[in-house]
Amino acid sequence: MSAETKELIFKKIGIAIAFSPRLEAIIAEASKMQKGFVSNLFFIHVGKQSAEDEKTLNELFDKYNLTNSQLIWREGEPVETILQICEDEQFDLLVAGALEKESLIKYFMGSVARKLSRRVKCSMLMLTEPMIESNPLKRIVVEGSDNPKTVNTIAKAIEIAKAFDVKYVDVIQETDLSKAALIRSDEFKENEMAHHKEQLISEENKKLEYILSCNDCGGLKVNVERIEGKPGYVITKYARENEADLLVLNSPDRKLNLIDRVFPTDIEFALADLPCNLLLVNEDGV
Amino acid sequence: MKTLNHHETISLILSLGILLIVARLVGEFFRKFKMPLVVGELVAGICLGPSLLGQYFPQVSNLVLNKESNSAIAFNGITSISVIMLLFVAGMEVDLSIIRQQGKTALKTSFLGLIIPLGLGFLVAYYQFPLFGENYNSHTQLILFSLFFGTAMAVSALPIIARTLMDLGLFRTKVGMIIIAAAMFDDIIGWLLFSVILGMMKPDTGAHGFIYTLGLTILYSVAMLTAGRIIINKSLPWAQKNFSWPGGFLSISLGLAFLGAAFTEFIGIHAIFGAFIVGIAFGDSVHLTEKTREIVNQFVTNIFAPLFFVSIGFKVNFIANFDFQVTALVLIIAVICKLLGAGLGALWGGLTKKESLAVGFGMNARGAMEIILALLALQAGLINQKLFVAIVIMAVVTSVMAGPALQLLVKRQLDQDKEDLDKEQEEMFV
Repeated sequence: MSAETKELIFKKIGIAIAFSPRLEAIIAEASKMQKGFVSNLFFIHVGKQSAEDEKTLNELFDKYNLTNSQLIWREGEPVETILQICEDEQFDLLVAGALEKESLIKYFMGSVARKLSRRVKCSMLMLTEPMIESNPLKRIVVEGSDNPKTVNTIAKAIEIAKAFDVKYVDVIQETDLSKAALIRSDEFKENEMAHHKEQLISEENKKLEYILSCNDCGGLKVNVERIEGKPGYVITKYARENEADLLVLNSPDRKLNLIDRVFPTDIEFALADLPCNLLLVNEDGV
Repeated sequence: MKTLNHHETISLILSLGILLIVARLVGEFFRKFKMPLVVGELVAGICLGPSLLGQYFPQVSNLVLNKESNSAIAFNGITSISVIMLLFVAGMEVDLSIIRQQGKTALKTSFLGLIIPLGLGFLVAYYQFPLFGENYNSHTQLILFSLFFGTAMAVSALPIIARTLMDLGLFRTKVGMIIIAAAMFDDIIGWLLFSVILGMMKPDTGAHGFIYTLGLTILYSVAMLTAGRIIINKSLPWAQKNFSWPGGFLSISLGLAFLGAAFTEFIGIHAIFGAFIVGIAFGDSVHLTEKTREIVNQFVTNIFAPLFFVSIGFKVNFIANFDFQVTALVLIIAVICKLLGAGLGALWGGLTKKESLAVGFGMNARGAMEIILALLALQAGLINQKLFVAIVIMAVVTSVMAGPALQLLVKRQLDQDKEDLDKEQEEMFV
């Protein structure tokens, strides 16, 4: 893969860091990303600046050959400050560590990473288990829903797969046929209903074929699966059951709020219980 | 325990058998003309009941369903249960995530689609109630009637709308999903309002009745749609693992629907609302598969719905109570209110004029839900038989006109768009 191609993925990456036990692992992951994407890294820390913390960071940057990266150190409310930095710096990707599952209260109140994911305008990667040692990506699961954003999301997933030599990419079409049950079932003769369902599915298949035809997959094996069920929930379940390393979803179409957590839609199913690392691709931000 | 005697038992079983078969036969006949089954079921009831058969051959009509016998009481019990189950299924059809996903356009469409019919309907009924053959001595009664009329103008028939959209290939389009989302939202508010009105009709409802009933209704809805919904969603996988499935689901879901119905009836709201909200809570579960959903749907809509709709023909003499003026008035108000409300809402939400008109016609279909609403109002003494007949006819006419109107307004444009996309994709594959 040429450097030119790599540069197309995420040129400018912001990494939100905190002085937690996972700090080194996050920096190690950032280093892997820098190599894979050939990106400029910007580490962001919101908190009081101290000589001791600075020393810790510099040591880690030295250890992982990240001396060229920049450090943005600000004080203020973490979420608002990070969002402001993302906007000022025009990042293509924001990276933050996140717990797989929050406590119920914390989930509804919103942790920093989850709050960022609901509001950030660029793409966002949430790392559930950042690792210091090398841990190659094996399987990427990507959303193949009927949404204008999907073309770009699949393209990004394929680029990432090629950059990190991923073996499997599963494109998941979530077909919510429950809406077809809206109709009084006796209104249709058996074959009529089947015909309508087939039509719905074939329309979706056609669109997905079109999307995949636009992407240069090279030698990559792209597996397309159609699963019936609630969008967001079924892909999260699939990613967990198939031990995916990365789940790639479209970014939300609008700002999500508390009501979306009470009545979950799409990505909220993933955020409620992250099955693996989660990448939300934002079309405008990339 | 009181039981039916031998003759009454035979009479009840005979009624059930004849009504189910005739409702299906007439329903299928009407379906050939692209009309909803419910139209055929209603016509079957009208033909067998006092309007036609009872008029000319009363003994034969009595053989089908004798209104004076104990078997008729048992039959009424079955139709009351049918309404609860129908509302449970209607609740399962509501998809809260669609309402959220369709965002502001759907909310604006549903807001005006609700407020304008409700407001206009209320005003017309309040100031022109004698036109509907109604006469009220009490101001409270008039307010309740006006509120009912407004609500009747605001309700829409989701299943009919969905079917029409699917037939026209518009189900997954932007316009289609907006219509579905807006109709769902309007249904929730419509049934909530109607339940409050019915609650207010009870003789023991005091001066503070409205606030009390409304408060309890909202409290019940919030509790069921948050905590209740989460508990149901978490319990379903356990039940799926430990019970026979989907039989277990049928028992548990319908059992809870009846409990919800009993609870709302107990606190002063009508039973149907309890079942409707339990239906929403079940329908929203991620563990509910399409197959399970369909089984519940089949069970209720093929056995209980026909019995309920065919029984309507036995409750009212449609021919004697048909009043052209009242019917025309109701139909005109209903169509204007919905076209104006939903159409303006869609326009406000950013759709084109043509699309907005299509949304208006789509949401104008009233169907079975309107008929249920009208029958409950009739039974509660809120409306007279003439107005009931007029509302039923309005429900049928608005449902039948939705398809051709949508065909005319948006189908052609969408077909053209689709052709263009297919061409583009073919070129891409070549």
